Amino acid sequence: MAGQVTVAETRPAGKSAVPAGRGRTRRAKTARYVLSRVVRLLSIIAGVTFISFFLLKLTPGDPVATALGPEATPEQAARLRASLGLDRPVWEQYLDWLRGVVTGDFGDTLAQPSRPVSGELAARLPVTLQLIGLTVVLSLAVAIPLAVWSAHRAGRTFDRAVSSVLYGFVAMPGFVAALLLVMLFVFHAGAVRTAGLALACAALVLGLVAALRARRREASPLPALIGGGAAALVGAAVHTLLPEFPRQGFVPVSDGLGANLTSVALPVLALTFVDIAVFTRLLRGDLIGELAKPHVLASRAKGMSTAHVLVRESLRPSMFSLITVVGLTIGQLIGGTIIVEHVFRLPGVGSLLVTSVRNGDYPVVQAAIFVIAAVYVTVNSLIDIAYTYLDPRVRQVNPV
Amino acid sequence: MSLPLAKAGGARVPDAAGRWALVLLGAVLVGTALSTPMVLPAVRLLLGALGLVFAYAGASRLLRARFGPGFDPGVWLAGTWLAAIVLAAATADLLPLPESLDPSEALTEPTYAAPSAAHPLGTDQYGLDVLGQIIYGARVSLVVGLGGVLIGGTVGTLLGLTASYLRGRVDGAVGWGTDVLLSFPPLVLLMALAAVLEPRTRNICLALGILVIPSFVRLSRAAGLKVAGQPFVLTARAMGATRRRILFREILPNILPSVLSYALLVVAILIVAEASLSFLGLSVQRPAPTWGNMIAEAEAEFQTHPFLLAPAVPLFLTVYSINRIGDFLRAGKEGD
Repeated sequence: MAGQVTVAETRPAGKSAVPAGRGRTRRAKTARYVLSRVVRLLSIIAGVTFISFFLLKLTPGDPVATALGPEATPEQAARLRASLGLDRPVWEQYLDWLRGVVTGDFGDTLAQPSRPVSGELAARLPVTLQLIGLTVVLSLAVAIPLAVWSAHRAGRTFDRAVSSVLYGFVAMPGFVAALLLVMLFVFHAGAVRTAGLALACAALVLGLVAALRARRREASPLPALIGGGAAALVGAAVHTLLPEFPRQGFVPVSDGLGANLTSVALPVLALTFVDIAVFTRLLRGDLIGELAKPHVLASRAKGMSTAHVLVRESLRPSMFSLITVVGLTIGQLIGGTIIVEHVFRLPGVGSLLVTSVRNGDYPVVQAAIFVIAAVYVTVNSLIDIAYTYLDPRVRQVNPV
Repeated sequence: MSLPLAKAGGARVPDAAGRWALVLLGAVLVGTALSTPMVLPAVRLLLGALGLVFAYAGASRLLRARFGPGFDPGVWLAGTWLAAIVLAAATADLLPLPESLDPSEALTEPTYAAPSAAHPLGTDQYGLDVLGQIIYGARVSLVVGLGGVLIGGTVGTLLGLTASYLRGRVDGAVGWGTDVLLSFPPLVLLMALAAVLEPRTRNICLALGILVIPSFVRLSRAAGLKVAGQPFVLTARAMGATRRRILFREILPNILPSVLSYALLVVAILIVAEASLSFLGLSVQRPAPTWGNMIAEAEAEFQTHPFLLAPAVPLFLTVYSINRIGDFLRAGKEGD
């Protein structure tokens, strides 16, 4: 598993000095590794189809009764039963379903009017994918600067404050975060604007005071000024630019990018809480390890700037395990958007799953569970395989 | 993340007067926030939060000066909270609470009442007391969290232990099953299980238990492999110990500490999982209160009655406390 792999150190610069003749065996080894992963992946997906099919077969209640309602005649029920194939042995139904899965046909929804399940899923996938994409981008955009500065100031006030706030983020369930955001940005948007203004003023005053104190200590006042100014800018932006967020619903991109983004902004924010915490803590740890390495010391001794040391010398080698975790997060988010899709009534795969479970629409539940699980496990395997190309040590440390 | 080392080297500690001043300032701010019916509730909230931060900073400095720099008041607070919530949940039937379970008993109570002396956290749409529901809801959360870990931890550890010792085909089968179960995102698997099982506390325990089996299998298998290679296990085998004796008397006691410290964190994860499931309406049904289904019911009304979201606070505090204590225990173990 990629999760067990920790990146200990970067390869020395002279990595091209591979003895001649070893290239081919190495490639063969990699190919065999990839092949074994693919076989494993297929066997696991077979298990996934098995579980998603038979688990739902155990569900109490008659799907035909669910679909037709209490007023159906026995003849109608028998006809629907036959057309769904429910009168045949379970094994035949399973094989039938498998054949459908391979061709992308998941049957029809039980909810009337009946529609193809694959069409339902395909219509909802883009919403979920947009949520995932924006969440990952936003989390990284916040987490990387936070982690870099925390690692630089490890143990100081900034680092401790960030650590404890992120600790709180981890303990916040997704639906609580979502409802809090609704409360703040939808119901009390005015208060948020006022708070933005207050933040801007406070940041300006505090920045100036800190700059003056730095002058008295004959240190550079620039960091305090820059920090205070940036915080003041953010506050002012919140005060003036905060848009009206809708309580719920989704606006497709075709109706305007701005409207689309405001309709997904709060769900994405709610999703980022945990991811920011995870990314920052991981990257901060790696960076602190990297900053203690000799090449960083050498670079500092040569008088390179802090920015160069942090970004060029430390961040680049530390990104490695972050990339893995980002991949895993993408996989997890495919099932993890359920809660926010439900809270914000977004027409994604997750809310489809929730309504179908509630209504007992089992073909949809089967298909949704299968698709989510298949994507999840495929993404994870792809990361594993990509990893062996990126870092050959994995093949030796962790042979299958 | 607790950083005791970093804290010791942090900011210069002010003298006793300064520490007391911080505590006093915090108390004054909290008092102001609680007592003044000011225009903006947001301002009161802010003042209260600021006051708590000041009071905590002052108090922790005082305590650290008294008990040494390694003292972590956050962990003690977390422990106190957990003890209080467990005690309240266990004695819920004995506490003098207004009616909080049966809507037909609460017909004369006001609905959506604001917090008052009779109802410290107000009432919901049936006139049921919110505080009482939170305490009864704690029962579900705690029982489900602990029960799920008990089921999943026992089954998972036994499976992982057996697989790590027997290797071969058993190991392969267990590993494949683990991978299949892990290939469902947790909430998705939980929803599928919830769709199959009737939503009762016992069944939710079972579903959550199944959910965490694979991670316990992984953990105990890895730990078991490490221990099984050690000389004392080989000695036991050479002396003709039975397989059961080796598994349960030689290997199990050695992997138990890491399994238990992981189990504590899983309790927190399961409490959140149950709350999420309840929130989606797939766990214990109303009117039986759980933190999740209370929040789900509040979702429609919390614009006008924000106090209905109160169960989010104990949920957050419980998860936070468990994580905090878990990290503290692990840090102590690594430090030894």
